[in-house]
Amino acid sequence: MKISAFSKTYHGVTVLDVPELELHPGKIYSIIGSNGSGKSTYAKILAKVLPADQKGPQLDAGITVGYIPQKNYAFRMSTKANILLGGSDSAKAERLMEVLQLDSLASQRADRLSGGETSRMALARLMMKHFDLVILDEPTAAMDVETTFLSENLIWEYAKKSGCVLLLITHSLQQAKRIADEILFFHKGQLFESGPKERLLFAPTRPETRQFLEFYGI
Amino acid sequence: MQSAFEKAIHLIMTGDAELCNILFVTARMSLTSSIIALLIGVPFGIWLGACHFRGKGLILIMNRTLMGMPPVVCGLLFYILFSGVGPLRRGKLLFTVNIMILAQVVLITPIVIGNMETYVSGIAPAIQETTRGLGLTRIKTLLLLANECIYQIFFVYMLSFARAISEVGAVSMVGGAIAWKTNVMTTAIMQYTNRGNFSLGIALGMILLTISLLVNTAITLLQRRLSK
Repeated sequence: MKISAFSKTYHGVTVLDVPELELHPGKIYSIIGSNGSGKSTYAKILAKVLPADQKGPQLDAGITVGYIPQKNYAFRMSTKANILLGGSDSAKAERLMEVLQLDSLASQRADRLSGGETSRMALARLMMKHFDLVILDEPTAAMDVETTFLSENLIWEYAKKSGCVLLLITHSLQQAKRIADEILFFHKGQLFESGPKERLLFAPTRPETRQFLEFYGI
Repeated sequence: MQSAFEKAIHLIMTGDAELCNILFVTARMSLTSSIIALLIGVPFGIWLGACHFRGKGLILIMNRTLMGMPPVVCGLLFYILFSGVGPLRRGKLLFTVNIMILAQVVLITPIVIGNMETYVSGIAPAIQETTRGLGLTRIKTLLLLANECIYQIFFVYMLSFARAISEVGAVSMVGGAIAWKTNVMTTAIMQYTNRGNFSLGIALGMILLTISLLVNTAITLLQRRLSK
């Protein structure tokens, strides 16, 4: 899958300028970088939530894009009804709720769930459907350790079984290390370095990447 | 003053014919105008809050200006339009309940639009981001957005009904406060007070407050029940 190069400018300042990317189905790509590095802007533009400058990113024809934003919205209806917005397969919704420990909350109003529960609900809602490209913007940021691991397993399983390209934006290098196949390092709105996780985490070529990883103790 | 209160209670308890007529006209005018304003204002307010287009800022400024329009100015405009020398004189609407409803709709609709727009513009970006991420259609997004607005619609209805039932400037100008025809509670209170008939004025004031209390209580209870 190819994503063409695109950029984003705010008030004359270029905040994002990314070259063409070639991504492979069934692989998990983790996007890392400090705050303001353009990770979320990149995700929003790919999900067509934000417009890019001039021509938006060109994806191959017929590619479907699924996206979970940083702030998940829980509609004023039951947790199960929220999950069923993603797809109508009730048995699948129940299985996802069981895996993500949401089964006891199925009939509870979703807008009253805690932050972590809402994140799990949003994950289940997205996984009701198959997408060719899935973008998750810090999907486990509000979760505890146990549910983070559960969610990571589910994300990994979803990517491998469905054969989608999965872009995972995370602040946790440990998470990237656990489930990503490749890592993309964003810095000041640019893709500075990318490659297999072992190579990028332990033998980065760019000084900016090295500095970033050292800061996180890697 | 005490005897005026006693007389007021007596008028209410015995179902005074003139009082009943005033109540009927008031109910017809307030309910009809507030519902029409809601039917026009809610979809328009949701659309304004959810969409971005060139000229939206201008529409918002115009709407905010209309939200603050003095009722007497609205009454004056309708009076000029529908009076014997006005361009719409053939409608023969002046001094009827229908023109009072029309004037009320013009006064209330901008309030409904403004309130809905403010609410929707606060929640729409997150909803649109979520539905786009799930690949839902625009119609589905709009339906979900409308569903999220239900409580706000109740609140806006309370606001518009309160405005309709308590308004006096426009309805007295275009309705003329004609006894047994266009006299509503607010215009009647003014009329009877000017004539020194305090008991009927107090009776109407008491009923006005009671109706307002009942409507607001009913809507609040319904709102609570739905939120469970």
